[in-house]
Amino acid sequence: MTLSSPAIPRGPTLVERLPRGSVLLVPALLFLLLFYVYPLAQLIGASLPGGSGKNYALIFSRPVFLRVIAETFRVSLVVMAVTVLVAFPYAYAMANAGRRALLFLTIALLIPFWVSLLLRSFSWIVLLQNTGLVNQVLLGLGLIETPLKLIRTEIGVILGMVHVLLPYAVLPLYSVMKKIDMRLMEASSICGASWFHGFRRVYLPMALPGVLAAAILTFTLALGFYITPALLGSPRDMMIAQMIAGQFSEQLNFGLGAALAVVLMGLTALAFALFGLGRVLLARRAAA
Amino acid sequence: MMTDRLRKTLFWAFVCATALFLLVPTLIIVPMSFSAGSRLVFPPEGVSLRWYGKVLSDPDWRAALGNSLLVGSATAVLASALGTAAAMMLNTASFRGKALVLGFLLSPMVTPVIVFGVGSYLVFARWGLAGTHAGLIAAHTVLAIPFVLVSVLASLRMVNPNLALASAGLGASRLFTFRRVTLPLILPGVISGAVFAFITSWDEVVVAMFVANTGTRTVPIMIWNQVRTSLDPATAAVGAILIAVSAIGVVLSYTLKESDR
Repeated sequence: MTLSSPAIPRGPTLVERLPRGSVLLVPALLFLLLFYVYPLAQLIGASLPGGSGKNYALIFSRPVFLRVIAETFRVSLVVMAVTVLVAFPYAYAMANAGRRALLFLTIALLIPFWVSLLLRSFSWIVLLQNTGLVNQVLLGLGLIETPLKLIRTEIGVILGMVHVLLPYAVLPLYSVMKKIDMRLMEASSICGASWFHGFRRVYLPMALPGVLAAAILTFTLALGFYITPALLGSPRDMMIAQMIAGQFSEQLNFGLGAALAVVLMGLTALAFALFGLGRVLLARRAAA
Repeated sequence: MMTDRLRKTLFWAFVCATALFLLVPTLIIVPMSFSAGSRLVFPPEGVSLRWYGKVLSDPDWRAALGNSLLVGSATAVLASALGTAAAMMLNTASFRGKALVLGFLLSPMVTPVIVFGVGSYLVFARWGLAGTHAGLIAAHTVLAIPFVLVSVLASLRMVNPNLALASAGLGASRLFTFRRVTLPLILPGVISGAVFAFITSWDEVVVAMFVANTGTRTVPIMIWNQVRTSLDPATAAVGAILIAVSAIGVVLSYTLKESDR
């Protein structure tokens, strides 16, 4: 008696189990693995020469590096606060404007978005230099007697960075605000609440997810800024990106530069993780 | 107590000041580039085209313009091909980890560009891509893929999926359906993705600084080197050329999108 082997229903093979059309995703994924993930991984390797963590030990013990990290955090926090504060009314205006005002505000927001950051920093140098437009106007109005030193200072860096980051803060705020039903504000005012009270207790809580998104996006992008602080700031208040560039192009200490780059990557990832956490907490509170 | 009217006036004054803050430093380069004087000041000293003449006759600037155009166009083609294919798949498929894949494909947008720049520098030196156009194109394509993806995905969401089904039902192959049905419908999205990819490369300086050499340097690198040494109206003229090219691209892609409606 021969046993004819019963046809065992075979499960789908690995390839068959892949979602339909996966082959379309392969080129982009392979490309990014090769030219994006691999270079970043190599950076981690280069930061640990012979498996030793001496570069990291150096970064976290020498005051010169700790100061740069602290400075990067401080500037990023200030820039984040100023950007969100300026972006909030702008986004509010966009969310509640008529067609033509909305068009104007959108164009004013998107033109800088598509002009290179390098050129805008260059313009800021021209505007802020001792003989620049800003000093000319202030002198002309009699507000100051000698030109203010605005470039190679922190004011210059903050102005330049806020200018670059403003669209990144306005867009998430706007997308949340345009969904807010303004009749709720009317209702609060009919119920006798002052405008400020209504704003604080009704509008602001609804806009909070947008504020959070804007804050975290501006903060994380600010951490990695290189061009603007290099052109508008003083070398004394260096940010971490400038130090990374210096290690690679001037000091030629690739291991240390790579370690600094990994630290910056880690800080950026950490900030995004906090953002995820904040969103979860907000959603929980809304559900409760 | 502030009246409603006063509050509204103050509010709109602040918003208009913000709009000026956005626009003035962005566009002031254009009038300054037409200066006849040799100092970079505003208002410019007289009107002339001398700085444009100087830039366009300088072999270094011309070589840089050529490099920028070459790298930008190649980046636009490569990033649109890779990004459009990925968007086609992500639009129709639903699978576990899709959000993760999308997040990964978009992550070059938020990775600090200095980190990516020095990473590419390390790897390209070993691969023999340092200082080559190919290396620069590959690195810029990484930065440009997210823009194509966002733009094409937005277009695909507007396409009725039944059209592709109808085409398949009538016996068309998937390639034929893509070429004759889907692609014409999403073309404005693909083109605006390609334009954004071009501009990403056209304006990019940090990665280029670490990847290019004197033979392959692009316009932004020349500007970067100039700005650090002196303020020269020639730099403003180059900047105005950069802005003009970007503006043509953006207007082109918006016109296409509008005419599509």
